[in-house]
Amino acid sequence: MNKFIGKISVTEVIVWTFLSLVLLFTILPIAFMVCASFMDAKQILAMPFTWIPSKEYFTTTDRTFATNFIKAILGNNEDSIFFRTLLNSLIVAISVSITTIFLASLCGYGLAKFKFKGKNVIFMSIMATMMIPFEAIMIPLYMVTSSLNMINSYRGLIVPFLVSAFGVFQMRQYLLTFPSEFIDASRVDGMGEFKIYANIVLPNCTPVMATLGILSFRNQWDNLLWPLLVSQRETMKTIPLYITKFSEEKQTDQGAMMAIALLASIPMFILFGFLSKYFLGGATVFDSRKG
Amino acid sequence: MSNKKRYSIEQKQAKWGLLFTVPCVLFFAVFCFYPIISAFVTSLTDAKILSKTREFVGLKNYIYLFTKENGGFSLYNSIRATFVFTLGTFIPMVIVSLIISVLLMQLRKPSHRGFFQIAFYMPAVLSSVVAAAIWMILFDPRGLFNQFSNFIMFTSGKDFGWLVNTKMLQASTMIVYFWKYIGYFVILFITGLASIPSSLYEAAIVDGSTKWHTFWRITLPLLKPTVLLVSVMAMLQCLKTFSTQYMFHQGGAGRQPIDVITMNIYFTGIRNGRIARASAMSIILFVIMLLLTLLQFKVSNSDDVEY
Repeated sequence: MNKFIGKISVTEVIVWTFLSLVLLFTILPIAFMVCASFMDAKQILAMPFTWIPSKEYFTTTDRTFATNFIKAILGNNEDSIFFRTLLNSLIVAISVSITTIFLASLCGYGLAKFKFKGKNVIFMSIMATMMIPFEAIMIPLYMVTSSLNMINSYRGLIVPFLVSAFGVFQMRQYLLTFPSEFIDASRVDGMGEFKIYANIVLPNCTPVMATLGILSFRNQWDNLLWPLLVSQRETMKTIPLYITKFSEEKQTDQGAMMAIALLASIPMFILFGFLSKYFLGGATVFDSRKG
Repeated sequence: MSNKKRYSIEQKQAKWGLLFTVPCVLFFAVFCFYPIISAFVTSLTDAKILSKTREFVGLKNYIYLFTKENGGFSLYNSIRATFVFTLGTFIPMVIVSLIISVLLMQLRKPSHRGFFQIAFYMPAVLSSVVAAAIWMILFDPRGLFNQFSNFIMFTSGKDFGWLVNTKMLQASTMIVYFWKYIGYFVILFITGLASIPSSLYEAAIVDGSTKWHTFWRITLPLLKPTVLLVSVMAMLQCLKTFSTQYMFHQGGAGRQPIDVITMNIYFTGIRNGRIARASAMSIILFVIMLLLTLLQFKVSNSDDVEY
């Protein structure tokens, strides 16, 4: 049975030790990114590594706290496209989140609360698209996009991700539990169907909307493959492309590299800080298969 | 209410239901079903990115992929790289995240559990490109992770060649992926664990069962559906990996050992313009994932536990 050291059991000690080790493993690389973004390459690759940027390093005239960040923003040729790529990423990620929430809730509502011919066929075919990995259809999608003249445009970046099958599924599952009495009552009151959707249904699914919105935002913020195909012009590049390009061209400037990484992560950290419960919720919704 | 009126209400309902679903149906038709059919059709032609005309060539692309080298980056090598990565990543990930989540459930205070969960989830918040960028520096011969490796292996100043050595390079991509997604899978398991009724544990304690015994006899059997489901999910996700490998390759690592299928599709189709050949590879990837998804459905339906 349990052995005790003082008031703490041995199992508890083991549990805390193990969890703390995992904690170090997950957190230290992030801490490294933050610390290294203030250092120069020499310090980042010093043996042994010191976590705190040394003092004498900042007293030299050509380096300040901001040096790496300035390099990161100015990029290679001093023609700063950093803010442009940041803006592009934001535009794409926000647009995709909004359209996903709107279209998925509309479709999920239709599938959950209406009776019509072919409903099951529609639902099953939408679910079937989850089996088609994006990576397998990117070449034909690229051909379609290029024939529609959408290469190097926001439309090209956004349109293939307007809505996700997973989002439709999630919305449907959530709305199945939504009481039909509210909807029927509004109908009796003479409300139009679209108005019922906009005024009664939507305001009542904010948690699932938030989860879905964050999931879509993060997926787009993280998306490298599709922009790699369609954003060929500098001004249409997104943050992941900017990072990739910088790492190709300035392999030895690790400090600036980490500064970019940190800058690119700030929006996600802010989102996570405020809405962490929806992030964690996004991971678990898939388990609603029983609903 | 007359029968006629009722009928019209139902009809109206059907109209609106259809109207609400049509936008999504159109979207999926154009951006999912059409492209996969188009990929299959293209894979039977000799299409190239710059030539306007294409001719039907039958299964020539598939035969080529299975018998030829594809310019030094063969499909066999890609399938090998993909499966090595997938097996090497998802098996440790599932086992370790299961252990972590069981240990997390041992914590007495929910706030402690929440703290660890958020801390473990942090890497998943970063984008994959950022994750790869951080680890590329850590894996440098003078980098922190190489220093750490020296520390645990009791060697000094040894270069483990994390980004150079064929085997180590594969291991590095696995470590990055493992690091990034471990917290995500911990949360999936926590959800599964939380759904096991506590009355079962209480009964076990009353019966004098040890924690070890309880884990093997109660937790694990009841968690089996979650474990299977999470495994297949992790597996499917690993099969689609791209960013880490691409970033490592662009950063100077060799392509051969980490040339996963998605990367080969990208290089063959977009960089080399061999669209037909890349489409054939896409179809092969699709078939592999389809088989595994069907397996997932079979697994998740057969083993549902009733409490």
